[in-house]
Amino acid sequence: MSATEARAPKRLPLAPHEIVLVVILAIALAVLATLSDRFFTLDNLLNQGRLMTEVGLIAMPMTFVIVTGGIDLSVGSTMGLCAILLGYSWKNFGFPLELAIVFALLVGTVAGFINGWFITRLKVPPLIMTISTLALYRGLAEGISQAHSVRGYPEGFYLLGQGEVWGVPTQLWLLVVAIVIFAVILARTTFGRSLYAIGYNETGARFSGLPVDRIKLAIYTASGLMAGLAAWIFVSRVSTTRSDMGTGIELDVIAAVVLGGTSIFGGVGTIAGTVLGLLLIQLLKDGLALTGVKGDATIVVIGAVLILSILITNFAQRRREQGR
Amino acid sequence: MQSNSKPPVLALDGITKSFPGVRALKGVSFDVAPGEVHALLGENGAGKSTLIKIMSGVHTADTGTIKLDGREIAMTGPHEARRAGIATIYQELLLFPELTVAENVFMGHAPRTKWGALDWPAMRAKAQVLLDSLDIHDLDVAQVVGTLSVGNRQRVEILRALSQDARILIMDEPTAALTEHDVQRLFAIVRRLRERGVSIVYISHRLEEIFILADRVTVLRDGEHVATKAVKDTDNADLVQMMVGRRIESLFPKIDVPIGAPVLEVRDLVRMPQTRGMSLTVRAGEIVGLAGLVGSGRSELAQTIFGVTPAQSGEILIGGQKVSVRSVADARRLGIAYVPEDRGIQGLVRPMTVRENASLAVLSDVSRHGFIQRETEEKLANAAVRQFGIRTAGIEQIVNKLSGGNQQKIVLGKWLATKPKVLILDEPTRGIDVGAKAEIHRMMGELAGQGLAILMISSELPEVLGMSDRVLTVREGRIVAEFSRAEATQERVAEAMMGGTSHESSAA
Repeated sequence: MSATEARAPKRLPLAPHEIVLVVILAIALAVLATLSDRFFTLDNLLNQGRLMTEVGLIAMPMTFVIVTGGIDLSVGSTMGLCAILLGYSWKNFGFPLELAIVFALLVGTVAGFINGWFITRLKVPPLIMTISTLALYRGLAEGISQAHSVRGYPEGFYLLGQGEVWGVPTQLWLLVVAIVIFAVILARTTFGRSLYAIGYNETGARFSGLPVDRIKLAIYTASGLMAGLAAWIFVSRVSTTRSDMGTGIELDVIAAVVLGGTSIFGGVGTIAGTVLGLLLIQLLKDGLALTGVKGDATIVVIGAVLILSILITNFAQRRREQGR
Repeated sequence: MQSNSKPPVLALDGITKSFPGVRALKGVSFDVAPGEVHALLGENGAGKSTLIKIMSGVHTADTGTIKLDGREIAMTGPHEARRAGIATIYQELLLFPELTVAENVFMGHAPRTKWGALDWPAMRAKAQVLLDSLDIHDLDVAQVVGTLSVGNRQRVEILRALSQDARILIMDEPTAALTEHDVQRLFAIVRRLRERGVSIVYISHRLEEIFILADRVTVLRDGEHVATKAVKDTDNADLVQMMVGRRIESLFPKIDVPIGAPVLEVRDLVRMPQTRGMSLTVRAGEIVGLAGLVGSGRSELAQTIFGVTPAQSGEILIGGQKVSVRSVADARRLGIAYVPEDRGIQGLVRPMTVRENASLAVLSDVSRHGFIQRETEEKLANAAVRQFGIRTAGIEQIVNKLSGGNQQKIVLGKWLATKPKVLILDEPTRGIDVGAKAEIHRMMGELAGQGLAILMISSELPEVLGMSDRVLTVREGRIVAEFSRAEATQERVAEAMMGGTSHESSAA
């Protein structure tokens, strides 16, 4: 066809930032494997997969939210609220367990919808809105639980959190499915394209006729739903329900998303990056613990890796936007 | 008036300045005598802003000399300019809205007590002296600037410049946002300053102001110095010809096309505070020009028709059918397209590629079940690049890196891809070079020829007059006058824009 097509640059399968992460991940794996012989075993790696599923599931919609330039800090509290309501409605309302699970997922969805509604209709900044509901949802969870934990679920309930399917932790299958769905939506659909447009320039997106508010409402709602799903898995994994569940998980989630190259200013980010960020953080935590590094030092290493990766992203970003 | 026999207070000679990819100034000379009003004239992109930024130390010239009182000085930054007594009043006023008049005037150089604290009584007294010296009696030094009108805020800027003993005042389109009353008061202040020996570099697009106010005029075109003349030795036509470098008729190739049935009809449209009951009609093949001052409500009207700020009352009809436009998506579906004033913010998502921008308004057309069909999208983008002659390395090019003219063509392509019946163009050629401007004007003619109804908003009167079949004038949220192509002259339209016209709206 025309010459303009021939000159179009070839697309790399991975963005430069993701390549950097793959390299860091490979180095970390190699170093940690030589330092501890328990690290690079299939059992350990699958167990790490089990441990990172909750963070991973919440990180999927969080990637969408951050790509639009927003943030959702309430996910940990939503998770706590859903967990409590799962146990409470089963034990105190006499809901069948299946209904209790559906109820918990519904509560998560509504919690996310409330965030989205205030953010889009009343133009409350996402940071303010979700920091408010971070307090609000956690307070509700604590008020409902009255410091009582719920235990003694039937045996079948633990299949999701503690069981295996075809030799792989059950919940890891869920995470894999979620990753594929979210990755396809972000990379291939008009919805995904709209998320990037909103993140780069929300006014421009509105003037192009994109349903900006509907899209934002949808992603905050999805964020709540995934927090509810994570709550179900978490309860099933640890066999108990407490109101402080998920406390601080928003920081792990956001760290993974940002480490994965998603710009907190919006417009930039991929699911592949987020998955790499998740893997890197989880394996660093585990590997350093296995090699005898104390918890505090582990956090320091993760912090350093985070800063390093952000410096690299910013550098790439500046090159992309030069001449603006 | 003044003779220019006095030695200049400021003289620039052989100034060149290049930015990556553009030579903004090519050996320009400019000087200003004490107590002289020297007008600087040129189209957008002619190099006026670059020249005043060099005078005020914001940019450093690549070559050339700057002399102050006959002595060469090194203008290395805004600080040197301030010390030399050069002050600039920009279009967007740089004031602190929360602070008082006196505080704004003395921000950064406030009088101090011997303990180093701010000397409030002295500050107020000095501000009052400045006010009196300009014969301004209706401005209180203790008033908060945010509550003042644009005209009064501008006066505060002028006071601020004088408080720093400015001898040379550069005014960048000072009347662009002023009411007629404020314009007259500004003129009075400018004359008073001239009597006091202050030199004024005056930039304006309004030729009539130059004849009222200026002693000499310098015309720039494409970064080159065209001429410097005494105002009494020139006239309107002469200046325009020097600015554009050709006769005005050839710049706006208006093609006469048959005008059909009404496509867009707007009746008593209200969206407070800027749209206060506007009515207009645009017919197939017709280009209607919307003239008016900045802030008169032109863009707001367009954005209400386009659904960005939906109407509170009134009717919109498309092809004779009453329609409801509650969102941009509604407008697009109804065949209304809007090429906005602010290309960078409203028109494009600049960090995205040409391909992504070209398809942004028609994502549903390039997708199936929500999945983007990459091939269809690429075809669309390539077609736009070809059709509009967009100069780009390819459709994967980031839009940011393209010139203003090419960016504007992408916005145009993006909206024409929606196959509109009505095209609203808001300042379609602002900030783009003369060549791209002519191309966009040619495209407008062709589109009208294909039966599109075009509503064009422009602050450039020659553009309005040259392109429009009909001209509507907007003032304070209302359409106040209508002129046919034959009736529309620069004077009559400008008069209606400013107020004090006898042509009352016949409401199209």
